Amino acid sequence: MPSDFVPPMTGTVLGPNGATSAATGLPVSMKIVVAGGYAVGKTTFVGTISEIEPLMTEADITVESLGIDYAGESSSKTGTTVAMDFGRLTLGADMVLYLFGTPGQDRFLFLWDELVRGAVGGIVLVDTRRIEDCFAAVDYFEHLGIPFVVAVNLFNGVYRHHPREVREALSVPANVPVVLCDARNRLHVKETLVLLVEGALRRAQMASAI
Amino acid sequence: MTAAGEPRRDVSTDPVRRTLVRPYMLTRGRTSSSLGVFELHAPVLALISPDQLGRNATPEDRRIVELCQTPTSVAELSARLGAPVGVARVLVGDLVVARMVHVRQSEHQAEHRDVRLLERLLEGIRAL
Repeated sequence: MPSDFVPPMTGTVLGPNGATSAATGLPVSMKIVVAGGYAVGKTTFVGTISEIEPLMTEADITVESLGIDYAGESSSKTGTTVAMDFGRLTLGADMVLYLFGTPGQDRFLFLWDELVRGAVGGIVLVDTRRIEDCFAAVDYFEHLGIPFVVAVNLFNGVYRHHPREVREALSVPANVPVVLCDARNRLHVKETLVLLVEGALRRAQMASAI
Repeated sequence: MTAAGEPRRDVSTDPVRRTLVRPYMLTRGRTSSSLGVFELHAPVLALISPDQLGRNATPEDRRIVELCQTPTSVAELSARLGAPVGVARVLVGDLVVARMVHVRQSEHQAEHRDVRLLERLLEGIRAL
């Protein structure tokens, strides 16, 4: 393999010599991130609607000092591995949607940049028994200005707090939907995704109208 | 409740685990591709069929070319190879250079903020 040959990066499609072509046979690929605390039902959410059984993979990430103290251990360069799982949805002939589940632990939050870059938006799953577990995800999406929906996972079909109470507890802005969602229920998952994309679309329309 | 259910690896096609090769052995120690960082969801499509591969093609290259007969994302290749995303990126980068696959990179196009694409996405999800 000619490893010393570096083709120029000239367009969206990297092919022979970095050639760009519209008729490449490559679909448009979109991404939505599913976040929340550990064991809140992210994999279930993804698996409920994915056309493939959720797959798991790992990314090796080198973390330089971020100037932020995460668990008091960010002062030097460290290598770490972060696991993520994901599912896929084929939408028509030339569009694919990937749903990526974030790593479960908040201390890996700063590693999400990789996951979040180029994402349409995020779903924050909430278990009302451990509502504080989702604070980090809410902060993160808010901080980056990424459209998101808060979905209160119904475990065994019951919820302990009304969405209104969850909204108050999280103090999310009015334009962020807070919905009930049984992660095992395909219709619930679908409606949650619809809400998210509607929000992302409204935002894109406003941005393009300026 | 299977909230914490572990997603499965594709063990049957997991050359890394099977041979117990250190992941970055496959990339001869390289941790990045000269083509930059491919997005996790970037689709990869083969430009050749598996039988066009040379006899000295590695099992991983062969597997990538096989999987990419239909568009397959970088993350999916990583999972199916049982190798970290970084390894998959380097291997895909090599195959791009060798004109065996091509990759769609959408980052610079801001496709995730494109009104027409979001309309199509919404339509697609509603039609599920």
